[in-house]
Amino acid sequence: MDIGQILVNGLVLGALYACLAVGFSLVWGVLNVINMLHGSFIVLGGYLTFFAWHSFGIHPLVSLPFVALLLFGIGYLVQYLFVNKVVTAPVLTTLTLTFGLDMILYNIMTVFFSATPRRVTLDLGTLSFFGITMPVDRLFGMALALALTGLLYYVMRKSRIGRAIVAVRMDRAAATLMGIRVNHIYAITFGVGALMAGAAGAIFAMVFPITTNLTGMYIGKAFVVCVIGGLGSVPGALVGGLALGLIESISGHFFGPQHSLTVGFLVMLFILLVKPTGLVGKRGYE
Amino acid sequence: MDKPLLEITGLASGYGDVQVLWSIDLDVKDGEIACIVGSNGAGKTTLLRTISGLVQQSRGQILFDGQDITGVGPNKVLQSGIAHVPEGRRLFKGLTVRDNLLLGAYLRHDRVEIQQDLDYIFDLFPILKERATQDATTLSGGEQQMCAIGRGIMSRPKLLMIDELSLGLAPALVDRLADALVEINRRGQTILLVEQDVMAAFELASRAFVIETGRIATSGTTAALSDDPKIQQAYLGI
Ligand SMILES: Nc1ncnc2c1ncn2[C@@H]1O[C@H](COP(=O)(O)OP(=O)(O)OP(=O)(O)O)[C@@H](O)[C@H]1O
Ligand SMILES: [Mg+2]
Repeated sequence: MDIGQILVNGLVLGALYACLAVGFSLVWGVLNVINMLHGSFIVLGGYLTFFAWHSFGIHPLVSLPFVALLLFGIGYLVQYLFVNKVVTAPVLTTLTLTFGLDMILYNIMTVFFSATPRRVTLDLGTLSFFGITMPVDRLFGMALALALTGLLYYVMRKSRIGRAIVAVRMDRAAATLMGIRVNHIYAITFGVGALMAGAAGAIFAMVFPITTNLTGMYIGKAFVVCVIGGLGSVPGALVGGLALGLIESISGHFFGPQHSLTVGFLVMLFILLVKPTGLVGKRGYE
Repeated sequence: MDKPLLEITGLASGYGDVQVLWSIDLDVKDGEIACIVGSNGAGKTTLLRTISGLVQQSRGQILFDGQDITGVGPNKVLQSGIAHVPEGRRLFKGLTVRDNLLLGAYLRHDRVEIQQDLDYIFDLFPILKERATQDATTLSGGEQQMCAIGRGIMSRPKLLMIDELSLGLAPALVDRLADALVEINRRGQTILLVEQDVMAAFELASRAFVIETGRIATSGTTAALSDDPKIQQAYLGI
C-alpha cells in the first residue's frame, strides 16, 4: 500500500474521530464531567439511524438532524435532572453517576436492539484518484464529520449561547451576574455533547457496523483524542482526532492493525508526559 | 419627595453561619451617584452581592423601582434593572473584549440597540474599540475596569452598582474613570459606588453610606460628611 493511501485512510478515520470526540471534550472541559454515557450516545445515534433506514427506508441524511436533536433532548434532561445535582462534586462523583446511567442505557439498548452489528449500506461505490481508492460513503462520512465539527466551532465562537458556555466555564459567579442561568447552560452543554455523539453515531453507521459492544471503545478513542489534541476546545478535538487517525493508519500499516490501538495509547502517554495540555490546548483557554 | 429607586430596609445576610450584614437601611434616588464606604471586611461587597442575589438575604426587604425583589435571584434582579460590576472586574478569560461586552447584554434580544450600546461604550472608552478583538484578560487594569463597567452598562440597567472602582489603579486612571462615570450619570444613569478610597468616592457621589462591621454607621450628603470630624479622622486622614 502506498503512502498516499495510508495518509488518506488516516485522515478519513481522523475526521470521524474528531466528530466522535468533540462532544466528550466539550463536556469534560466545560463541566469537568467525564461523561461515561458518551459511547452509548454514539451507539444510540447509530442504531436509531440504522433502524430508520432499515425499517422505514429513511435516508441517514434525513434522519441525522432528528436523531441529533433527540440526543440533545436526552442529554439536556440527563444533565438537568441528574448531573446538575452533583456537578460541583469532585470529578469521581460525576464519573460514577454517568457510569451508572451508562449501564442502564447500555442494557436497555442491548435488550431493544440486540448486540448484532448493524450497518447502513448506501452502495455509493468507490472513488479512485492518484492511485488511491476510497469508498464514497467514507468520503461522505468524513465530509459530514468535518462539517458538523466546523458548525460546532462556529456556534461556540459566534453565538450568544457559545459565549455563555465559555463564560460559565471561566467564572460561574460572574456569569450569574450576566443573567446566565448556569444550570440551564450546563444542560445545554451536555445536550450539545450528546447531540454531537448522536451525529457521530449516525455517520459511523454509514461507514462501519455499529453494535453496543463498541461503547467502551468509543469512549477510549474520545479520551485519547482529548489528551492528544487538548481538552475542551473544538480545534483540540480536531487536531487530536486527525492525529489519532493518522497514527492508527500509519502504525497499522507498519506494525499490523492489531497494534494500532496500542500505538495510539503510547502516543497519548508520551504527550501526557511532554505536553499535558495537548497539542493545541492552552491551560484555561477555550 | 418622590420614592427612591432602590430602598433597602432591615437587610441582613451572611455566609452560612457567619452573619455579615445586620439590619442595613439604604436608599438610592433616581439619577444620583451614591456611594458606600467603609474599611476592609466591613461588608460592602457582601451588601452588593446580597442586592444582586448572589448571596441570600436572611432578613429585610429590597424594593426596586416599585417592585419587591427580595430573594428573586440574580437573573430576575438583573432583569428588573440592576447591574453589578463585581470587585476585581471578573472579565471572562478566553473571550474577546467585544464578547465580554456582549455578555453584558445576554438577557437582551434587541440586536440593533445592542449594537448601538456597543458603539456608545466604544465612544466612552475608545481604547476598548482598539482592543475589541483581544482577549479581555490581557488588558491593563484600567482598561479591564473600563470593560467591566461597559459590560455592566450593556444590560441597560436603571441602577449600575460598581464594587471598588479604583482598586489597584493609578490616580490618573481613577480620574479618567471618574470622568466617564460623571458623563454616564449626566446622561441619566443612576450609580451606586463602593469604594475604599473615600476621598475619590466623596468627589463623585452626592450621598454616602458609611458601613462598619455590617451596619450603617452614618449616612448623609457627601458635603456634610466631609465636614464631620469623625469621618475626617477615620476615613479622610485629615
Ligand atoms: N465567601 C465568603 N464566605 C465566608 N465569609 C466571607 C465570604 N466573603 C466575605 N466573607 C466575610 O464577610 C466579611 C465582609 O466581607 P466583604 O467582602 O463584604 O467586605 P468588604 O467591605 O467588601 O471588604 P473589602 O474592602 O476588603 O473589599 C468579611 O469578614 C469576610 O471575611
Ligand atoms: Mg469588597
